[in-house]
Amino acid sequence: MHALWFIALRNLSQRKFRAFLTAIGVLLGVSVVLAIEVTNQTTIDSLRSVFDRAAGQASLLVIPSSQKDENLKQGLLPTVQSVKGVAVAAPSLRVNTLPADEAGDWQIALNLNGVAVGSFFLLYGIDPALDPQVRVYVLAEGRMPQAGRYEIVLPRKYAEEKKLRLGNGLILLTPQGTARFKITGLLANEGVALINDGVVGFAPLKVVQESFHLEGQLDEIAIRTSETISSKPALLEELKRSLQQRIGKNGDVVYPDSRGVVVSQMLATYQLGLSFFSIIAIFVGSFLVYNTFSMTVSERIREIGMLRAIGMSRKQVLSTVLIEAFVVAFFGSLAGIPLGILLARGLIRMTDAVITPSEEVFSLSVPIILEALAVGIGVALLSALQPAIRASRISPLEALRVRAKSDTKPAKAIWITGFCLIAFGYFVIYGMSWPEHWMFPVGSIAVLTIFLGATLTVTLAIQYLELISRRLAAKAYGSEGRLGSANVRRTVGRTTLTVASLMVSLTMIISINSVATSFKKDMGDWIDSALGGDLYVRSAVTMRQSFGNQLRSVPGVAVVTPTRVLEVRVAPESLPKDTLQNEFYLYAIDPDTFRQIADLQFTDAQADPEASWARLKRGNAVFISNVTAERYRLKTGDRITILTPRGKHSFTIAGVVLDFTGQRGVMYTSYQDLQTYFGESGADRFTLKVAPGYSVDQVAAEIESRYQKRRHISLQSTREFKQSVLNLVESAFRLFDVLGLIGILIGALGVVNTLTMNVIERQREIGALRSIGMTRLQVMRMILAEALAHGTMGGIYGLLFGFLIAQVMVLAMNLMIGYNLSYKFNWQPFLIGLVIAFLVAQMAAIGPAQRAARVNIIEAIKHE
Amino acid sequence: MSVETLKNEVLRTEHLTKIYRMGEVDVVALRDVNFAVRRGEFVAIMGASGSGKSTLLHLLGGLDTPTEGEVYLNGQALSKLSDDQITLLRRQKIGFIFQFYNLLPTLNAVENVALPLMIDGQHPSQYQAKVTELLHLVRLEGRETHRPDQLSGGQQQRVAIARAFVNQPEIVLADEPTGNLDSRSGKAILELLKKVCKEFRTTVVMVTHDPKAASYADRVVFLKDGQILNEIVGQNGRVPFEQIMDFMAALEA
Repeated sequence: MHALWFIALRNLSQRKFRAFLTAIGVLLGVSVVLAIEVTNQTTIDSLRSVFDRAAGQASLLVIPSSQKDENLKQGLLPTVQSVKGVAVAAPSLRVNTLPADEAGDWQIALNLNGVAVGSFFLLYGIDPALDPQVRVYVLAEGRMPQAGRYEIVLPRKYAEEKKLRLGNGLILLTPQGTARFKITGLLANEGVALINDGVVGFAPLKVVQESFHLEGQLDEIAIRTSETISSKPALLEELKRSLQQRIGKNGDVVYPDSRGVVVSQMLATYQLGLSFFSIIAIFVGSFLVYNTFSMTVSERIREIGMLRAIGMSRKQVLSTVLIEAFVVAFFGSLAGIPLGILLARGLIRMTDAVITPSEEVFSLSVPIILEALAVGIGVALLSALQPAIRASRISPLEALRVRAKSDTKPAKAIWITGFCLIAFGYFVIYGMSWPEHWMFPVGSIAVLTIFLGATLTVTLAIQYLELISRRLAAKAYGSEGRLGSANVRRTVGRTTLTVASLMVSLTMIISINSVATSFKKDMGDWIDSALGGDLYVRSAVTMRQSFGNQLRSVPGVAVVTPTRVLEVRVAPESLPKDTLQNEFYLYAIDPDTFRQIADLQFTDAQADPEASWARLKRGNAVFISNVTAERYRLKTGDRITILTPRGKHSFTIAGVVLDFTGQRGVMYTSYQDLQTYFGESGADRFTLKVAPGYSVDQVAAEIESRYQKRRHISLQSTREFKQSVLNLVESAFRLFDVLGLIGILIGALGVVNTLTMNVIERQREIGALRSIGMTRLQVMRMILAEALAHGTMGGIYGLLFGFLIAQVMVLAMNLMIGYNLSYKFNWQPFLIGLVIAFLVAQMAAIGPAQRAARVNIIEAIKHE
Repeated sequence: MSVETLKNEVLRTEHLTKIYRMGEVDVVALRDVNFAVRRGEFVAIMGASGSGKSTLLHLLGGLDTPTEGEVYLNGQALSKLSDDQITLLRRQKIGFIFQFYNLLPTLNAVENVALPLMIDGQHPSQYQAKVTELLHLVRLEGRETHRPDQLSGGQQQRVAIARAFVNQPEIVLADEPTGNLDSRSGKAILELLKKVCKEFRTTVVMVTHDPKAASYADRVVFLKDGQILNEIVGQNGRVPFEQIMDFMAALEA
């Protein structure tokens, strides 16, 4: 064994540069895997931590019943407290509000899941005596508020940002206007001070209930049990059951982290997208490893033949190659860890389009690191296995041959298999239907199969594509360009893998960009039509509906339509069995004014918009979003049961409409139904249409001057809003761009590796060319032309498969999320892809070209 | 065949035939070759290119398998052995010297010589002294840590000879060992080969087309069209060069 390690290590040290490049490939692959794993885990843990902080040391929570849509009643508290095993039962109520002085500049912060954390000021109504027993309050200064008084404690960091001090007053918006709270304490930056990204305050329950008209209502009762119970799952489960029995349908008893899990499902699709990228990164990395070891083996056929002749067994040869792969992979993977951690930090920051990441959560753990290491080393060993087996099959007779065999022509079977794999991948995606939980794994494997198939067809395509690249190379580099381009045919296997790795990374960049463009286009169209109008008027607290009349009287306002947003729950029995989430957004609209400003697009093929609108206006009806329809398998004409404050009520689905507002279910109803069944009125947003002859800015300025101070409203033009949403989409996709670029980097390493190898192998030939008068510059141009050929082929393949995979991705998003996207061809990503392919290939070739130019003629031609 | 002869025999072939199939045509490389080598003997196999001499060497070393017939090394039939067994046999009982030296470019002289022992799993302490001694014997003192690219062709071949003898093989097979050297280095190599062969009482079978090289042997076997035509047994450890030349002239006539 010692001898094998010795030989393997010597080989590596002799080919340091190549080993280094390969290790870098592994390093990049591992860092992507690690970064994505950490990012995914961090987003989940961030969400969990929000709930954990809110739940603190509570072992159980009582939350509003899923059977009844209403807040918890405070009257339930004594019942809960009386259950044996309950040590502390702390009631709390949460409301969203804003400091009054911020209302004017306030803009709602969004992410792809809806409203971003920290967008509102979260006010907790608590029992100042009980709450510190279930949640962690660390007072840096001052004291807790006193029950019944308008007092509040704030995170010190928040107070510092807002220049607030102990004893100052904090004025918060309430449905009546404002309420003033005296700051009695500042919290250190831990525990509850981290809830809602630190945009939080804690005031006595009673005063919060009073100022927000929520007398007698609670959101949650946090329960702390004795240690003996909380440390024994069985006992805790028993307590949970008996509590549930006691409170019956008045509330649900849950474990504190259960809601974190539900929310995390919303992230699932995004995370799957990221995971797919880590698979691709590893896939491209494996090409690099395979190529390197393939080269190493081909180059050493004679040497291995000699080793076999003097008595090295096949197993020993195999082990030597695998030891080399292991060493490269081990160090590459190890070095990939710090880079992965760095990358994860960047990626997490970039995920704020999807979830507001918590600064304190960074889910790096030993198992995740070990997993990334194992993936790096495992994939490298697997990739080196075929070359290693090939090495072990080398006959000892090779040692006696004068010239070693060179890369042979590809067998017909290879490219035929390639076409079959592509067809198979397509059939799996388009020709078969899969259950939802199978879609991601099956889809990923199908895409990889297509990539693998495409790779195999490169062997055939080289001879045709080379004709194209030869023309380009001749144009760019003259006759030595033609020579260089033709060289790619000489080492078909090596060229294939180089082209393939460029292709895969380009495909990803092109398809992601195409999908992003389609997504933005559809979303932009949707905002234009579904949201409509020119100006939005919003407030952090619900506005009175009559305010709409006042807005209408402002000169230049043609139409005003109100929107009210409620979070409602759907009765579990009207959803499929496996549904974990039953919370929906219910948008109440006024059909008449709404249609003067905006239009909803019905996605049912046979939908009659007029009939659908008429049905909604008749009452007792809702529109559901296409995402909701897809996810819960609902269609027009079905009924859906919503938990209203007046009990369960079944609504007719009057239409399925296009919607992009996040992954939570969305429904629309009329103001009439809002009043009848939910007893609600008011507006969270007014959408205004500006009359001809007036500018949006003019009208906005007029509204601001009239109402901003008094009503604490904020204004935003539709254009700004649209832009902010599109920016959000852009930043959600930017993450994938970064990953795509890493893929390209690995592809570039492949080009460097291949060209270096070609140069080394053709020393003699290059020497001969130099001796008959080729200048150093010409030699360089020849090598650059060879890379140009790689770039051309990778580019053409990338364009073709980018086009195909983009459509697969659109399909995947439609199937997995329920969107109704359509692929729209856009030449931009293709152009960008092509430019990247050429640039990357040319830049990667500079080093090898210089090396070739330095070849010493005498040395090269006397070389045996 | 007397018992004594059998005891002295290291290598024997019986009806050795090798036919290569090239497309539709069968090419007979060796036809019914019967030939034996005694312990400590230095045999040269001569023939023009295509005479089958390289094929014979491959079969003797277990690098290739015969179409018919058998090779016996120390009475052991090679065709009866598995791939692993043959590999082990090569490692322990056979030494190879190639025309192009075939040294590992990544290893220095000492390491190249020790290679067969390393592969065999021996610890450096077990072979250090032996390797140094061998390098002295092939007169490479002071070149121990040189890599192949730092050595001349003759020096590289001397490393290869040392490597061939390091595991004290029963037999050393040399394929045109001087084919890639100038005449002075070639002469030195042959003298060295002869000396080491005597020193270790090792059998050497050398394939060559160079009559000068062949004249260092105890016996020269002539091959033509895959068959043994004749052999010349020398005296005092040499076969007269003129005699070889005469025979070759007769062959070509």
